[in-house]
Amino acid sequence: MMTNTLFRAVMGSLLCGGFLHFSLAQEFIQDLGNSTVIAEQSSETILNGLREDEVLKDEKLNRKISTTIAETIKNEPDIAIRSMGPAAARPVIKGLSSSHVTLTEDGSFCGDMSATSPDHAVASEVLTAHKLRITRGPQILAQSFATAGGVIQVNHQDIPYDDSLFHSNIANYAETGQPGFATVISANANVHGVSLKGEVSARNMGDMETSKGTLKNTDIENRSIAIGAAYSLEHFKFGASFRSFNSDYGIPGGFIGGHPNGVDIELSKRDFTLQGLYIPAARPDTLNVIFRYNQYHHKEFETKKYVGAEFAVNQANLRIEKFIANSGPFFGIHLGTELDSRSVEMGGYVFTPPTNSYAASLFSIASINGWDGLEITLSARLGGAFFRPRESVVADKDAIEDRNFALWAFAAEFSQIVAPGKFLTLDVFRTTRAPTIEELYNQGPHLAAYTYERGYHKLDDESGYGAELEFRDYGEHFNWRASTHITWFLNHLAPRATGDTNWSQLLPIYQVSGDDALLMGANASIETSAEQGFYAQAGASYVCGFYQNENWSDMPQIPPFHFHAEMAYIWQHVRAGINTEFALAQNRLDRYEQRTPGYITFGALLEFHWSLALANYSIVLRGDNVFNADVRNHLSRLKSVMPEKGRNISILAKVEI
Amino acid sequence: MKKIQCLAIALLCSLFAACSDSNSTSTDQHEHFEAEGWNLYWPDRKLAYSVYQGKEDTSLETLRVNANCLSEHLTVKFLDDEKKEVSAPKDDEHTLGWSIGDESILDIEACGSWGFHLKGVKEGETTLTLKVKHHDHADARTPEIRVIVDKALKAEDCPFQDDDDDD
Repeated sequence: MMTNTLFRAVMGSLLCGGFLHFSLAQEFIQDLGNSTVIAEQSSETILNGLREDEVLKDEKLNRKISTTIAETIKNEPDIAIRSMGPAAARPVIKGLSSSHVTLTEDGSFCGDMSATSPDHAVASEVLTAHKLRITRGPQILAQSFATAGGVIQVNHQDIPYDDSLFHSNIANYAETGQPGFATVISANANVHGVSLKGEVSARNMGDMETSKGTLKNTDIENRSIAIGAAYSLEHFKFGASFRSFNSDYGIPGGFIGGHPNGVDIELSKRDFTLQGLYIPAARPDTLNVIFRYNQYHHKEFETKKYVGAEFAVNQANLRIEKFIANSGPFFGIHLGTELDSRSVEMGGYVFTPPTNSYAASLFSIASINGWDGLEITLSARLGGAFFRPRESVVADKDAIEDRNFALWAFAAEFSQIVAPGKFLTLDVFRTTRAPTIEELYNQGPHLAAYTYERGYHKLDDESGYGAELEFRDYGEHFNWRASTHITWFLNHLAPRATGDTNWSQLLPIYQVSGDDALLMGANASIETSAEQGFYAQAGASYVCGFYQNENWSDMPQIPPFHFHAEMAYIWQHVRAGINTEFALAQNRLDRYEQRTPGYITFGALLEFHWSLALANYSIVLRGDNVFNADVRNHLSRLKSVMPEKGRNISILAKVEI
Repeated sequence: MKKIQCLAIALLCSLFAACSDSNSTSTDQHEHFEAEGWNLYWPDRKLAYSVYQGKEDTSLETLRVNANCLSEHLTVKFLDDEKKEVSAPKDDEHTLGWSIGDESILDIEACGSWGFHLKGVKEGETTLTLKVKHHDHADARTPEIRVIVDKALKAEDCPFQDDDDDD
C-alpha cells in the first residue's frame, strides 16, 4: 500500500514536471507510521520511483507466479533463464549469469550455491515471496560489485514490522506441466506490541511433461518454515527471524558422461537474521543493522545409497546501512558497510579444496538535483575479497594459494526530464567481481553438471566499463520505454568448453578463462495506461557478446532475441487475456556450443479478484504453451536431451485475511 | 507482555542455537584413480576389448556370450595418458563396478579383484559400462560396450566351463 502511494506520488510529481525532493521524502516517511519497513525509503530518486512499476507484487506477482523465481520473472526486461531442469533455474540479466547476478532475501544475501553451477537450485520458495524486484542502476552497488549484471531482491517480510492485529495469507498453486502443487500458509499477529510471523510452505511436483513426453527425474519437493518477531520502541525497531528451506529435486540424465537415471539433489538452508533499526523522530534519517548467519548443505546422489558430491557452507554477514535524507546538495544518501565470512567444505567426488573466504566493503549512494531538472545519482563500492584454501588430497599443492582481491566499482546515473512525462536517463559504471572459489580452485568433475571443470588459481578479478541509455514516456494512452546498454569487460570470467574431454570420466572439460569481451544489447516495452478496459503490453530483449580476438567470436550462453506480448480485457474483478512469447534461433555461438532453434508459444489467462468478509480472494487460471510447442531454451543444458515444459494449465488460489 | 517478549526471544535464541550446530560434510575427499583407456584380456592374453580416449578398437570382435553360460575370464587393465598399460589400483578402496543396459539379457560374475565373466541370461543385445568404483562414486568408466548374448545352451554345452581356476 505504501509503495503504491509512493509510486503515485512520484508519478504525480514527475508529470507535473517537478521532482521528488527532501520535503516530499520526509512527508512519506511520516506517513509510514510504525508499520512499514523503513528500508523501502530507497525510492527517493525519480528513476527509482519510476522503476517501482517493474516490481512484481500483489496481483502482478500472482499473475506470473510459477515454479521458480526465474520462471516467474522471465518476461521482465533483459531477463533470461539458465537451467538444468525445472528446479535448477536461475535468472540471467543482460546475458550475464552466475555471480554477475546476486540474489538477496529481505535485504541480505540468499546464501545458496546457485551461482556456482547450473545444477544448483535457488534455495528460495517463490510462493512465499511478497515482492520480487530486479535492482537496476547505481542501487546495485548497495549489494554487489557487479553493476553490469544486477540484483534480484526477494522480499519475504520475515521480520514482521506489522502492527495490524491479525493478517494471514493462504495460497495454493497447482499445474499440469509438472503435475503437483505448492501451498503456503502464513499469519502475522500483534500481541502486546510484539509483532509475530509464522509461515509454512510445501511444494510437491512430479516429473516435467514436455512436448516430447515426460522428462524423468525432474521432480521437486520443497519445504520451508519461517518465523519472525519484531518489537518497536520509540525510536528503535528490533527484529529477528528464522527461515528453513529444504529441497529434494532431480537433475535428468541422458547427457554424455551422465548417469542414465540422472542425479538426485538434497539441499537444506537455514537463515537466522537479526535486524535493528534506529529512526529518529526529528529527521527521517535511519540506521539499519542486519546480521545474518546462514548454513547451507547440499548433497548429490547418483544412486540413493551414495553421496557423489557434497557441499557445506557456513556464512555470516553483517550489514550496517545509514540513510541520510538530506545533506548539503545531496538527498537520499545511503552509506553502508558489509562484512562477510564464509567457510566452504566439500566432500565426495568434488575436487575443490575446503576454503574460507572473507569480504569487506563500503558503499555509498547519493543523489543530487538541480541544473534545470537534471538529477544525478552517484554510487561507489570499495572493498576486498580474501580466499584462504586449505590443503587437500584432491588439490594440486601448487594451486593451494591464498588470494586477495581489491575491488572497486562506481556508477553514475543522470536522469533528465525532457518533456512532461518523458525521461531520459544515462548510466555509466565500472563493474567488477572477484573470482569465486570454484573458479579459482576447482579441478575436477561435477557430478550433476556432467562437466569436468578447471579453475585457475592465478585468475585476476573481472572488471569492465559500461553505459546504459534509457528513455521512458508516460503518455495518456501508452507508456513505453526503451533502453540500450554496452559493457566492455576486461578479463571477463566464464567457464568455456575447451573441446577436450576427461577420458576417465568421459566428461567435456570446461576451463574458466578471463578474456576481454564486449557485451551489448537493448530492450523495449510498451503498455496501455488504462487501468480498466482494453489492455495490451509487449516487450522485447536482445543481447549479444563478443570476445576480443581476431574474429570477434561470440560469447557462450547468450540468450537469443526474445519477445512477449499480452492482450487482455479488464473488468472490475475479472481479467481475461491471451499472450504469446517467442525467441529466435540462437546462431551466435561460442566454440563447441550448440545452436538452438527458435520457438513460439501461445497462452491464455483468466483472473478473478474480489473482497468479502474482511478477506481478499484471487484466482488466477493460466494456460501456457497451449499448442504444446517444442521449446528449447538456449541457456538450458537440457536442450540437447528434451524440450522445456509443454502444455501447462496452472491455477493459483489465494486468500488474504 | 513481558512474558510474550521473553518467550519470543527464547524461541529465537533456541533456533539460533540449533542453527549454530556444526554444518560440515559427512563424506571425505580422497585421491582418485584416472585412466585414459581400458584393455580387456581373455585368459590367453588375447585382447577382447580396447578403448583409448573414448575411441574403441573396432578391429576387435564384439563381446559375446551364450545365454545360460559364462564367458571366459576377462581381465581389466588400464591405459595412461601415453597409452601405456598400467595396473589396476591395488588398494582396498577401489573395486571393479559395472552397469548393464538390460539386466534381463546380461549379468556379470565378478572374479578376482579386477576380473569378471560375462553371464548370458537370455538371447539379445545390450550394453555394459565398466567402472572403477571408489567410495561412493566411479573414478573412471568405459563408454557403453556392446555385448551380444547368443542363443541359450545347456550348461554342459557352454564353451567355457566354470572350473574355479579363475582366482
